[in-house]
Amino acid sequence: MTQSAAAPPAVQQAPPPPAPAPQRRGFWPAPTGKPVGAGVEDTPSLLNRLQIIGMTVVLLFGLASALIQFLSYQSDGRAADDTEQLVRVQEIQSSLLRADALATNAFLEGGDEDPEKRGEYDDTIAVVFEQIAEAAEAQSADRDALKALVVVVNRYANYVAEARVYNRQGFPVGAEYLSVASDSVRTEAQPILGNLVTANTDRAEDSMAGQHPFWLLLLGLVVLGVLVWLNLLLAQRFRRYLNVGVAIAAAIVVVTTLVAAIAAWRADSTNDGLLDDELQVAIDESAARTAGNDAKAYESLRLIKRGSGGTYEPKWEDAAEIVEKKADSSSLDEWEDYVDGHRQIATLDDDDQWFRARNIAIDEAATSPTANFDRFDGATQAVVTENGTTTTDELRSGRTLALIGSLLTLILGFVAAVAVARGIGARRKEYA
Amino acid sequence: MNTRWKLSVVASVVAVLLAGCGYDDTPVPEKPDEPPPPSAAESECDTVESTLESYDPGIGVPTGPTIERILRDHKLVVGVSADTYLMGSRNPETNRIEGFDIEFVRAIGEALFEDTEDGFEVGRDIQFRVITAGDRIPLLGGPDAEGEKHPAELDLVVRNFTINCQRWEQIDFSAEYYHATQKVLLRAELEETYNGTQSLSDKKVCAPIGSTSLVNITDPKLGGNPDIEVVQATNHTGCLIKLQQGEVDAITGDDTVLAGLAAQDPYAEVPPTCEGDQVEGCQVPITDEPYGIGVPKGQEDLVRFVNYVLEQMIIEDGGAEWRRAYNRWLADPLGPGDPPELRYGR
Repeated sequence: MTQSAAAPPAVQQAPPPPAPAPQRRGFWPAPTGKPVGAGVEDTPSLLNRLQIIGMTVVLLFGLASALIQFLSYQSDGRAADDTEQLVRVQEIQSSLLRADALATNAFLEGGDEDPEKRGEYDDTIAVVFEQIAEAAEAQSADRDALKALVVVVNRYANYVAEARVYNRQGFPVGAEYLSVASDSVRTEAQPILGNLVTANTDRAEDSMAGQHPFWLLLLGLVVLGVLVWLNLLLAQRFRRYLNVGVAIAAAIVVVTTLVAAIAAWRADSTNDGLLDDELQVAIDESAARTAGNDAKAYESLRLIKRGSGGTYEPKWEDAAEIVEKKADSSSLDEWEDYVDGHRQIATLDDDDQWFRARNIAIDEAATSPTANFDRFDGATQAVVTENGTTTTDELRSGRTLALIGSLLTLILGFVAAVAVARGIGARRKEYA
Repeated sequence: MNTRWKLSVVASVVAVLLAGCGYDDTPVPEKPDEPPPPSAAESECDTVESTLESYDPGIGVPTGPTIERILRDHKLVVGVSADTYLMGSRNPETNRIEGFDIEFVRAIGEALFEDTEDGFEVGRDIQFRVITAGDRIPLLGGPDAEGEKHPAELDLVVRNFTINCQRWEQIDFSAEYYHATQKVLLRAELEETYNGTQSLSDKKVCAPIGSTSLVNITDPKLGGNPDIEVVQATNHTGCLIKLQQGEVDAITGDDTVLAGLAAQDPYAEVPPTCEGDQVEGCQVPITDEPYGIGVPKGQEDLVRFVNYVLEQMIIEDGGAEWRRAYNRWLADPLGPGDPPELRYGR
């Protein structure tokens, strides 16, 4: 039922009306608590409409702001998973090349391989299979690529096993098995791993860009604008400067928006920092470890394919360039120590002093090139692990707070809606 | 209230949908295409008997600009194979390269350096470079696969190197030191019924990438079979891996190479040459492959010296040195053999 805002005219003979006093028309009506500008407007209906608009807007604000924060919470979770997967995939790459470096170096010893070196290779290739299984478990989008990878790695491991058997019998087909196996790592496994690294880098970068301080701020400002407009309409009609309920809702919107936007901005900055620092270091160091092991395998292959320096040395140089470009300064010293030894091996091999070159390459003394290389490998792995863990830990650390913030925003949205309802409801009561 | 509920439901659905958004699958790279099988090269010259003629060996005095450089450097750089069992391969036990071809390298090195002040030492005076079949001509200064020439990096190539007229235009050759033939190696179960390349219809036969052996075995004019499915590998040992893995049924190549492959696998057989009326379980050689030692074009002094050494091995004492090398490496798998006739005339 609606009521007219104008009082019914009295039925009586009235004296002629005095000349109308000039009406005061200001922006703010006089605070009388009575509706002003009363004419033909259906006030209760207007109040209902304003109440619905106000409640809907603050409810939507609560939902949208909570949703944005919830998505950011999820995004950080995904970012942690994606960076973990990225580091895992890069570790598969490094471990596979490490296995190849160990297999080729052990092959140099002839048919009677050192059981310790063989054991190290066996352990490393087992780690590769474990890492592939973990990666497949962690990211379903990588499963097809990992399935293809496991076929290649399985064949690689079989061929290395065949290579050993034939090498023990003194047949050159053993060296060819090893050569085909090594080749498959570079021509078949590396392209798959390259795709996995690219895909997971993109995913991690996208997920880490999941904070939206600008949208939170914009949303808050728009809602605040609507509440101010609502307050103006009410003030024009009810001679109150401020509707308390609407004002409470506006305060909730302002505080929620500021807190959420600042939190999102801080999380965004942290993510940018992780992306540029810790994660980048982990990615670069992993690439350096992969390239280093690639180079070490080329060094052994040039000796296995005796006198093939012309073929393998340019490949070694390319891999070494990547190491020098990507490796952290903490592991670069070990690399440079190894490089000195490699140059000696290469010079001796070029001079056809093959046996001396081979003996240096398989020497395990503390200052030998292989020992220096092993230290480089250990140092790079430690850097990758440390930085990868820091990145994922950081991404996960603020998530609970973000989830609480999201839920709180939702609740505050409802509280604001109630405040608007009560604020406008009070006007309705006054009018009645 | 109804409207508010609807809005809440829509928002929740959007949230759930966004949360459940999966990633696109990581693409799996496609396998690279196999290289196309080689086609018969248009030869502008014919390989005839006179193609086997090399430069007169003279009296074996090591003189000439190339030889003087080698003696001055005290280093003879030789391209060899390290995976052709019995011809040139690395012995995993000793890590030394050995085989029939390597016997000739040692003989040449010894003849060159034995009278020098420091004498001859294999490890010091001969620098072995392990090369592939495709490296042989480019590393001697001839054109590579793209037709580009590079400075010669080797003094000699002793790596089952067939003499033909096309190659003579690119490099120089010694006289022939071994007469090989192109044959076929089979999975053992195919040997009994084998009666020539017609037995290989729809079978997969492997040879190294770019090898003329694949052209020959599918050329009906040479007794080949065009219905053979050709498969390529990096080298002959790579073909043996494919045979062992069941990817191919046969391998074609020089009998010396195939003998080395068969010696590494008891389930690989090279049917013997057909004799008399025998037609099954034997084979007729597809082509002749006269082996020579490759030398960069224009280094006649070195060719002459190499020919002198070959003459010492093949003619002196009835070819005793040649026979010693042959008997040590090839007599078991290939049967008795005789040295080829040395021809000069260039």
